[in-house]
Order: sequence, then C-alpha cells, then structure tokens
Amino acid sequence: MEALLRVSDAALGSLSLDELLVELLERISEILHSDTAAFLMLDEAAGVLVATAAKGIEEEVEAGVRIPLGRGFAGRIAAERRPIIIEDVDHAEIFNPILRQKGIRSLLGVPLMAEDTVLGVLHVGTLTPRRFTEGDRDLLQLAGERAALAIRHARLYDAERVARAEAQAAAARLTALQRVSDAALGSLSVDELLVELLERISEILRSDTAAFLMLDEAAGVLVATAAKGIEEEVEAGVRIPLGRGFAGRIAAERRPITIEDVDHADVLNPILRQKGIRSLLGVPLMAEDTVLGVLHVGSLTPRLFTEGDRDLLQLAAERAAVAIEHTRMFEQRRVIEAIQHTLIPPLPNVPGLELAARYLPAAVGTTIGGDWYDVFPLGRGRLALVVGDVMGHGVEAATLMAQLRTALRAYALDGNEPGSVLERMNRLLPSLSPGTMTTVAYLVLDPESESATAVSAGHIPPLVVHADGTASFAPVEGDPPLGVSRTAAYGEHRIEVPAGATLVLATDGAVEVRGESLDDGLERLRALAARRPGTETLCDAVAGGEVTQVPPADDLAILVVRLNELSDRLHTSWPADPEALAGLRHLLRRWLARRGAGPDEAYDITVAVQEASANAVEHAYAPGPAAFDVDATYDAGEVTIAVRDHGQWRPARGEHRGRGLPMMQALMDSVEVEQGGAGTTIVMRRALKRAVAA
Amino acid sequence: MTSLVTVREDWHGDVPVARIEGEVDAANVADVAARLRGLMTNRAMRLVVDLAATSYLDSAGINLLFAIGEELRSRQQKLHLVVAEGSPVTRMLRLTSLDRAHPTHASVEEALAA
Repeated sequence: MEALLRVSDAALGSLSLDELLVELLERISEILHSDTAAFLMLDEAAGVLVATAAKGIEEEVEAGVRIPLGRGFAGRIAAERRPIIIEDVDHAEIFNPILRQKGIRSLLGVPLMAEDTVLGVLHVGTLTPRRFTEGDRDLLQLAGERAALAIRHARLYDAERVARAEAQAAAARLTALQRVSDAALGSLSVDELLVELLERISEILRSDTAAFLMLDEAAGVLVATAAKGIEEEVEAGVRIPLGRGFAGRIAAERRPITIEDVDHADVLNPILRQKGIRSLLGVPLMAEDTVLGVLHVGSLTPRLFTEGDRDLLQLAAERAAVAIEHTRMFEQRRVIEAIQHTLIPPLPNVPGLELAARYLPAAVGTTIGGDWYDVFPLGRGRLALVVGDVMGHGVEAATLMAQLRTALRAYALDGNEPGSVLERMNRLLPSLSPGTMTTVAYLVLDPESESATAVSAGHIPPLVVHADGTASFAPVEGDPPLGVSRTAAYGEHRIEVPAGATLVLATDGAVEVRGESLDDGLERLRALAARRPGTETLCDAVAGGEVTQVPPADDLAILVVRLNELSDRLHTSWPADPEALAGLRHLLRRWLARRGAGPDEAYDITVAVQEASANAVEHAYAPGPAAFDVDATYDAGEVTIAVRDHGQWRPARGEHRGRGLPMMQALMDSVEVEQGGAGTTIVMRRALKRAVAA
Repeated sequence: MTSLVTVREDWHGDVPVARIEGEVDAANVADVAARLRGLMTNRAMRLVVDLAATSYLDSAGINLLFAIGEELRSRQQKLHLVVAEGSPVTRMLRLTSLDRAHPTHASVEEALAA
C-alpha cells in the first residue's frame, strides 16, 4: 500500500498529464508485476477510447489506437463500467491487434471513474499466461481510483496552465494591438503609418498578406493604399468600386467578411488570385460612423479564419482607424500651419514703434481658422494695422484669409481711405467665397499726429492703453462684418494714440470663452493690458491663454503696437536703402515736435538730416545688408544730430549733384564731417528758437 | 512707397501743368522725373510745375528741377514754378537759388499769364 500511496503522491508534482500517466504506469506495473500497462482516455464527443500512455506496448500510443465504446476488451470495460479479466487473449474478443502482436497472453482492466464519470480505462497485461486474482483486480481498481484522482488534478492543472498561457497570449496580442495605436504617436506620415500598422497586424494574426484600401468618398471607390505581401496592389493603383467584390462589400455592408476559398468566391481584384492567396479575412475601418476604408489579411495556404481572428482584426482595425485619423489630422494641421506661417508676414522694423504679434492655431483638433494680422507701411510715415477673422476652419478658411489679406493690402496701397478699403473688401468677398463672413479691424496709425484712423467690420474694438495705465476700448462703431450686406458702409473713427500709448488688436479667439459673455473676456484683456507689460510679454500672455484662462479653443491672432515716447536722446539704425528716408523723416519730425521745434525749424533740420542720410545711402558699400545710424540729442535748447555710415565719403558726381553739403551748411548752425577708416560721421547742430521741455 | 507722392497733369491749351502733391525724396524722385519729362512737348513754350501742395522737397527734388529747367532751356522752352508763399518749400528754392534761375509764381493762373 505504501507503493500505492506513491501513485497519488506523483500527482503533487508539477508534471503534465502525459508525463503523469507514464509515471503512474511505471508504478502500477511495478506493484502488479505486469509486463505491460496502458491508459486509454475517453474522448466523450467521439465515443472512443484513445490510447494515451503505454508501458511495454508503446506502439499503441504511437499508432494512435482508438477503440469504440462497447467494443473489444477496453471498450466493454468503459461501457459496462466494470473490471474485466482475460485469461487467454487468443480466445477472447480483442479489438486492438497490437495486444496480440505484442504476444500478450493475459489482461486485467478497470474503468477509470471520477465520481459517476468514466474518464477512461487502465489495463495491465502479461506476456506469460496469468490468472489475475480478485486481489489483483482490487489492487488495480484502487490504483485506478487513485490514478483517476491524480488525472483529474492534473487535468485541472493543465487546464489552468492552458488558461494561463491563453491569458498570456491574449495579453501579448493586446500589447501588440497597443503598439498598433502607438505607431501613430510617432511623427509618421499617413503612408508610413499604414505600412507600419500592416507589419504589426500581420505579425499578430500570423498572416501572409495584409492590405489597407482607403475610401475615396467622392469617387465611391476603395484605393489600395498600403500592402504587405501583395505590394503589387498598391503599385498597380487598384481601385475597387464600393459594393463590389470582397473589399467593396466589406465597406458597403460595414461588416467583416471571411473567404475560406478564394477560388470559389466573388473576388474582384485579380492580384489576390495571382499572388496565390487562398483565404481572406477583411474588416471595415470605421471612425465613429464613417467608413475610412478596409483592412484585410490573407493566407497563402487554406486557412479557416476563426471568430477569434475576426475579433482581433476588428480590434486592430479600430486601433488603426484612430491612429489614421490622428495622423491625418496631424498632417492636415501641418499643412495649414505651413500656409499660415508662409502667409503671415514678418513684422516690419519701424523705429519709434514697438511691434509684436502672434498667430496661434487652435489647441484642439483641426479647428484651424482664418485669423490673421498684417502690418505694412503706407507712406508718409503711416502704418497699416490689420487684424481679421475669416469665419470657418480648415484649409478653405486659411486660403480665403490669404486672399483677403492680399486684397486689403492692394486696396490700401492703392491710396484708398480706410472706409473705402473695407467697402471694396465687402464687395469683393462674395465673389471669392459666397455666403461667408469675415470680421476685420483696420487702423491707419500716423505716429506723427499721434493718432489713428480706425474702421471695423464687426470686429472686436481696438484697445488703447495709455502710458499712465488707463486702458479702454476705442469707441469704434462696429459696422457689419464683410460679406453680410453688399451696401454696407464703413465709418472712419479717429483714435488718439499719444506717445507711450499701446494699441491692442485681437481676434475673438484671444478673449472668448464658450458659455461666457464676450464682454467678460474683453474686460480681462483690458485689465491685463492695463498693467502695461512689454509688447512681447503681452502677446505671450494672451497666446498662452491668460485671458481665456483655459487653452484657447479657437485660433487667435493678436497685434500689439506701442508708440514709444521719444526721449531727448534718440538712437536709430536704418537700412542703407532710399526707402528708409521717409521713415527717418517722419520719426525725426515727431521727435522735433516734442522738443518744441517750430514747423520751419523742423523742416530745415529734417532736410539737412535727409541730405546727410542720402549721402550715407549713396556711399559705396560692400555687398550685404548695410546700415547707417542717426543719433539725435536735445540739450539746453540745441539739437545735435549725428549721421554715421560705414562707407567712404565720395565727392558728389554729376552736374546737378553736390548740393547736399551746402544745403546742410545753410540749414544748420554747424556741420562737421569726420572721416575715419570705419566710415563717415556728419555732426550737425542747430539751436531752437523757442525751446520747450518735452 | 508710391503713395508718398502724386503727380497730377492738367492742360491749359498747349501748356502742361504738373501738380506735385506729397513728398519728393531720393526714393521717388526718378518716378517724378519720368512724369515731368513725359509732359515736355515741342508745341508748348513752357512747363508749369506746381509745388503748392508739395509737402517735402530736398536736394533730390531741387536737383531734378534744375535739370528739367536746363533741358527746357536747351529747347527754347521755359520752366515756371508755382509755390505757396512762406512755405518751407519756398525757402528751399530760395536757399538753392532755384527761384532766381526760373520764374516763380504764387498761383497757376499767374504762371500761365506770365
């Protein structure tokens, strides 16, 4: 009995069922002094006993012997649920020829029972005739009971192990699926992403081929976009009409389709057959309720795709659809941002003014809009300031924005007054894009008169922040947005912009918070600007969502212009370009007026400085950007102006040249020309008649 | 900066009148020169240049007027200037003696009648 106990001990080990059975047979034949021993396990569904483990008659297992229930020696034991003893194999009904071939003479077999269920049969045999006793039978039965228990344990253990392995496999597949969507996190293009996804999907499903066909909605066809194993599909530009063939039906019916045998199925694409694909599984790619395309995998050998495969592919398709959508949005966004960056021009450098601006696409989704700003010189020292908002989003809005921005520039540079510019824009808009609306604020800033002329087409009013920190929105009456009424007129409003004041122009994206009154946002912008942060700091704060207090939901544009207070010392630098002369003239007039110069004095000094500057511009420069400096100083009623260039003084050439220096001398109290290796400096002085402290 | 200056043409019989509005400087003087030379015909005996609405004129413009005056003289024609009395431009003309080289008038009518 000690030996018997060891039968069940064996089950405690972590043996697999097969290993356990072999181990048990070893012990049983030892206990019963038998030459052979065998386990036949019942396959209940098939109604047969299957030789599972054998000792001495290993051929039984190798041959895969299957005994019908009720037939022969083992079959009857299982069917009748009782032990059977065969003293002489030659005179008994034996189903299994191997027993005879092996020369077995006597047999003893018992059913393996677990509670009321037959698990199988355990039998022992001898190569010499033996009369198995009742004692032998009881012993084998006891061993059988113990073995049944051990088998049950082992089966449970096996099942658990299988379940664990399945769980691990499932986890691995989930990880692989996770990687399907991770692929989108990289900065791949859509095409690269699809290839990457196919690689992973065919790995997960162990398929020979995989392909994406993306839906061209306008044409109503699926276009082979990426393929693995059937790259010809993409190269040939295969197009499958919706509803036709394998992929066409998947997209049209929005359901998975499995094809077991390609030869006998409705497959439209000849490449699938040519490549020798035998079985196919395809699922629709859905983004919410929209079909994006079809994902299918194929096998070069006949394969029965299971429900599990289908679910897995569907899961992969879901992940892929999300990844594709993200990447598409990202790509579209990049295109629009490129448009925006190309079209939003750099700010001009205007001495005496501080300019800062930002354009920010919306933080969420593809909600990129048509906001813009623009700044350009208008002549006579005036500067055009524009902030606008084309209603709508996406490439269309960005493109319309570009057209309107150019149109405004064209009308303004053509010499039209601000109101007239907007009236022309308003008449132009319906021909560019019928039924759309655009708001715009347009200001012409004249630094010399410290004022601006403002017009507004339904736009947020300009904010004026004074040097003392008082800030208010200019009472610019909002005329209708462009595109609303063909007969709209746009009234011009004069805004005082004293030196030191800041103008803030913004789009509603900079201040608007959903579910809140626009006035609340405007008030927060006013309060923020009233603290007089630097122009760049103010732009950063607004772009950073300080006014909206949440990341701005819409795109936004902001333009900030500060009219610098001109102190007694003015240091300016200009490009060596005749176009710079007008800007210099206007800044100088402003500075001289603040110093108390009369109109004639201002004129004289301005002409003298222009003569000196024109010399600086004309002087030969080495190639590359050149500049000249104009420094103006006011001290004790006297104006001193130094014009410094980095070239060589050149005597004037031509008959009607050379009036510059005499003019300077006539207009100023003193003119000194200093020449050095680094360039030429002209220093001019003139006392003002009625000097007034600035 | 084309909007800095505008040249308006007006014909009184055969006599062309060029009215220069705005600012003339080194950046746009070539444009003004082209407009003025376009008005020089063989029929008219004079060209009237009206500087009453000229808000800025420095040596670039003065040099041009001297050159135009000499070209006309070589064709037996005359340059007549119109200036607003007491304006800064008038002082520029005086300073450079342009007003002594060419007849200067207070109005276009006066320039045409002279």
